Amino acid sequence: MRFDSWHPAVNFIFFGIVIASAISFDQPVFLAIGYACSFAYSVKLNGKRAVCFNLALIPLIVLFALFYSGYNHFGVTNLAVNFIGNQLTLEALVSGFVIGTRAASVLMWFSCMNAVVSSDKVVYLFGRVSPRLSLFLSILLRMVPRVKERARKIGAAQRAIGRGAGQGGLLRRMRNGMRIASIVITWTMESMIGTSDSMKSRGYTLRGRTAFSIYRFDYRDRSFVLVLFGCAAILLMGILLDQTCILYDPEIILNRITPLSGIFYAAYALLCLLPMLVQIMGERRFARQRKAGCENV
Amino acid sequence: MAHFAVEDLTFTYPEAKKEALSGVSISIEKGEYVTLCGKSGSGKTTLMRHLKTVLTPHGKRTGRILFDGQLLDTVSLREQSARIGYVMQDPDSQIVTDKVWHELAFGLESLGCDQKTMRLRVAEMANYFGIGTWFHRNVAELSGGQKQLLNLASIMAMQPDALILDEPTSQLDPIAAADFLNTVRKINLELGTTVILSEHRLEEVFPSADRVIVMENGKVLAEDTPRRIGQRLHAEQSDMAAALPSPMRIFYGVGSSLDCPLTVREGRRWLSEELKDTKIRQDSLPDPGETEEPEAKDAAVALKEVWFRYEKDAPDVLRGTSLSVPKGTLFAVVGGNGTGKSTMLKTVCGICRPYRGKVMIDGKRIEKYKAEELFRGNLAMLPQDPQSLFVKKTVEEDLVEMLADVPGSIGEKEELINGVARDCEVMGLLSSHPYDLSGGEQQRAALAKVLLCRPRILLLDEPTKGIDNFYKQKLAEILDRLKAKGATVLMVSHDVEFCAQYADSVSMFFDGGVVTTNTPARFFSQNSFYTTAANRMSRHMFKNAVTNGDVIELCRINKQN
Repeated sequence: MRFDSWHPAVNFIFFGIVIASAISFDQPVFLAIGYACSFAYSVKLNGKRAVCFNLALIPLIVLFALFYSGYNHFGVTNLAVNFIGNQLTLEALVSGFVIGTRAASVLMWFSCMNAVVSSDKVVYLFGRVSPRLSLFLSILLRMVPRVKERARKIGAAQRAIGRGAGQGGLLRRMRNGMRIASIVITWTMESMIGTSDSMKSRGYTLRGRTAFSIYRFDYRDRSFVLVLFGCAAILLMGILLDQTCILYDPEIILNRITPLSGIFYAAYALLCLLPMLVQIMGERRFARQRKAGCENV
Repeated sequence: MAHFAVEDLTFTYPEAKKEALSGVSISIEKGEYVTLCGKSGSGKTTLMRHLKTVLTPHGKRTGRILFDGQLLDTVSLREQSARIGYVMQDPDSQIVTDKVWHELAFGLESLGCDQKTMRLRVAEMANYFGIGTWFHRNVAELSGGQKQLLNLASIMAMQPDALILDEPTSQLDPIAAADFLNTVRKINLELGTTVILSEHRLEEVFPSADRVIVMENGKVLAEDTPRRIGQRLHAEQSDMAAALPSPMRIFYGVGSSLDCPLTVREGRRWLSEELKDTKIRQDSLPDPGETEEPEAKDAAVALKEVWFRYEKDAPDVLRGTSLSVPKGTLFAVVGGNGTGKSTMLKTVCGICRPYRGKVMIDGKRIEKYKAEELFRGNLAMLPQDPQSLFVKKTVEEDLVEMLADVPGSIGEKEELINGVARDCEVMGLLSSHPYDLSGGEQQRAALAKVLLCRPRILLLDEPTKGIDNFYKQKLAEILDRLKAKGATVLMVSHDVEFCAQYADSVSMFFDGGVVTTNTPARFFSQNSFYTTAANRMSRHMFKNAVTNGDVIELCRINKQN
């Protein structure tokens, strides 16, 4: 039901679009929509942790706006004069807020992406480009935790004979630490020989390598992409009609908001909320079906 | 036509004086299950690597190898990759990718299979090997047994018709090892895949092998059915005889004229038959009596209701563990995987600090010791993986390094090192790189290193893992010598046979605590599953025969009367 059960390509298209628009839109309505959607979706995915993270971003936005307006003095609406005689303007302050909010929104989208896109999805997409590249990534993803684990093991063994990196005087500690680091490197080399033997033995050097995947591009993925692209098309139209344009310097000038603008706002909101809506709908349906199933029994 | 035919193969590694293989000629039929055995360094691995061109070592070579009647060198890489499967010793370094499903498909990807074929093959393998439940996992989360099974499955996905396995179970615990070997047996029986397996756990493979090839010093010493190999090894008083399954060893120890048993089941039948006409007057050996648990202050190591967990929210690993180890004894703790045995050892040497309870070393709380004091002349631990102890380029440097901070003249130190090296029988290995040693050799070199701490209390974590029976005897001798010098040995192990034979007391560890402690004879004769092969084989006749020697002794006594 969660978005991560969709095809990796769909995940990437979605996050590509929303992150690109979060970065580029500085029109306040679009910005607000993007911010609210990323906030809601990250909370839906990550729960309490996301709430804390997102709320912690708010004071940072304010701080950034103050900092920004302290250094940029464009605009015509003076608010105050600071102690060295520079003018603090409304335009600069708002502009600072907008930049801060954009950054916060991008961060929140990234936290959603982190929850949805696992390493195998990245490896899979690379595999579409080049099987060898994706294999290399996969090997790397295996090597790093393995070497860490080995270092931990060697460290523990050394500690059990009183030669750990945290035992003895400062000089001894440093020497012990160096020794452990050097043997971990030796071990890594040694174990890579084993790995390369096993790769050769299973025909790694043969030509015409393919990449296996456990993903299928289903009807479900297709319809999701259709809706996604539909929304994106409307949004694009909005962009071409200058609906996303706004000036902050020297004066805040916003294109007129007409009833038609509502359609563009709705399209953007739908686009951003699509995975969350699909997830909620799935959960509802699941609960209903289970209830129905229980009644029948 | 033979599947593999090796004709007069002689091989020398570059810059080596001795031939690694000399004049080896063997022939392996299709669908045969052949076990290759021999002490470490006898050329098993070298021979097996010659059966696949990409793995063949560099060096000087004469003779030829035929695969399916064709010279192996002329068989294409593609064909060799698919048709000859090779499983190596270390389950970990063989795995290439980070996900189980990806690893299963690795070989198929190399062969350039299309998605549809790969999906089917991978699904088939996952089912056959029972991988379904951990199909999506990271390989880092798997146990050693699962890893090795994954290696086997990913090779079987390519549908090879020959499977070469180089000591595949040496790094596994006995239960996982038996599981793995059963799977190999199943493949051989159900698919007719040719199996060539080298192994030191002959108990497990002898009953399933069609043929056994014994190697010594790069030569084929004997080649026959398991039963006749046993006979020959016994007749020649070979060192390898120590590796034979218990029923066989008891059979030869008693000196029977009946058919030689291979399994416990056959052993029971044979024993009944053998003693059919003998009246059993004495069914048990004299019992040395209960071991007395010493007071905590007199014990070498005492744990008093120790509780420990790794993380704040993690479950307890040690749940009120109490234990007291008398001075000057070999104390064994046995128990299943993941019960917390190794964690207990870590609390004894202060790597893990319990959040409740006391750990006493020589009657003094462990917190009262300074790290210097604790590890110099008091306590040292040999970890489960002895390799993790080495930090230098040669064994000798590793040993010298241990004494770097100890006061004393160079002469004294040298003497000390030589003494320990002699004790552990590593004199011949001093100039080798520790990573080049075999399992048994590594174990002894690591032991030597640990002994240079001059511990009065030695902690051993699975000391018999991955070493053959011959080296186990050596290890036991070393431990005996240490005990004679007044040292205490606390060992955790899976190895029931080893504990039964050499320990002074045995404890059963389960669910984070010690369940019971007793002498080996009492401990193992009470159990019916968790006990030695000798006991399982003889329990219908004798009461407390636990080791092979006990059974032989009781047979002798009863026959005399």
